[in-house]
Amino acid sequence: MNREKKKLSLRFWVQAAVIGGVYAALTMALAPISYGPIQVRVSEALTILPYFTPAAIPGLFVGCFVANTISFYGVPDMVFGSLATLAGAFLSYRLRARPWLVPLPPIVVNGAVIGAMLYFVYGVPPSLPIDMAWVALGECLSCCALGYPLLKYLKRHEGIFRL
Amino acid sequence: MIRDITLGQYYPEYSKIHRLDPRLKIIVTLVYIISLFFIEDFGGYIIVFAAVAAVTALSKVPLRFMLRGLKPIILIIIFTFTLNMLMTKGTILWEWKFIRITEEGLYNAIFMALRLIFLIIGSSLLTLTTKPIKLTDGIECLLKPFKRFGLPAHELAMMMTIALRFIPTLLEETDKIMKAQQARGADFETGGLIRRAKALTPLLVPLFVGAFRIAQELAMAMEARCYHGGEGRTKLNVLKFRGYDAFAIVVAAVYLCAVAAERIFI
Repeated sequence: MNREKKKLSLRFWVQAAVIGGVYAALTMALAPISYGPIQVRVSEALTILPYFTPAAIPGLFVGCFVANTISFYGVPDMVFGSLATLAGAFLSYRLRARPWLVPLPPIVVNGAVIGAMLYFVYGVPPSLPIDMAWVALGECLSCCALGYPLLKYLKRHEGIFRL
Repeated sequence: MIRDITLGQYYPEYSKIHRLDPRLKIIVTLVYIISLFFIEDFGGYIIVFAAVAAVTALSKVPLRFMLRGLKPIILIIIFTFTLNMLMTKGTILWEWKFIRITEEGLYNAIFMALRLIFLIIGSSLLTLTTKPIKLTDGIECLLKPFKRFGLPAHELAMMMTIALRFIPTLLEETDKIMKAQQARGADFETGGLIRRAKALTPLLVPLFVGAFRIAQELAMAMEARCYHGGEGRTKLNVLKFRGYDAFAIVVAAVYLCAVAAERIFI
């Protein structure tokens, strides 16, 4: 029983790592639109993955961290960007009973956290609400226009996420 | 498109900065970032400039390489500079219709732009001089004390290593699937940004199938080698503090004292 649990746990972490790898690979493949204040990160569409598997929560966190290590926005982006993704993914997982709400947390959390980071750390004017709205808009494009259709598409192939 | 990607920012070189302990580099970078927010005038930036210039020279990362890396952020610097300049009220220097440049605005704009440049260049030195795997090792070590609060430090480091290892494989897989789908009539190259991005959706299912197959094989291989997490696990390359790490701590302390002295006394 314990052995089985350990095996499952290892598979969980490896699946999470590979999800992180897919996120990072897609972000890097589609740079430079993936980085900066005016970004449409196509890989953010993957933030709907917690709907299918909880392994996506740490996976997206690690993927975002790895992808941000090549961004020229430095350490704050690595720390705050990946923490925002982690919080968004966790909330998406909690909302999985209502699939249409799943893309919402990454938009709200990233808008708030990255907007605040741009305003307070990088000093991007004009104001905190505008910076937040700006980031949320880019995020909305990725999560609603791409993420939700992806969720519906992947629902037909749900079996691939089984551990 | 996919084959031309440079993975990571790491600039391979045999310098003192490259050889510093990654844990120390992470801590010093964080301290450096915080120190930037304590600076209140241009005098403080002279100290920061001297520190960044010295570290850059010691790291042997060519200046051209550093400046080329700044290219993607030029837009954000110009944007920050212009808005700060136009939106700060104060003594008017120049005015035309509704555009007003004030003395305070100009000061603020230059000050914020410099902070942004120092923040980005300084913190990028960490990723430019540290291999991603070393960075992961450093993060794992620094997160170890948080294990008692339930933070899976080893698992996080393992995930980062696996993710980094599989990025090239996954990129190749993506390329292969794209070509296979294009051969069957899929169109990834026409239309607007959203349309092109949407065209990538059917690509993700085979990509995930392939990726999870890799995950399954990897997990099996790890189980077969009796992998059981971080407990009692040894490392091939153990992180060690050396003489020049101690010297770097002294230099960092001197930098911090200089920044503090500048703020208090000047």
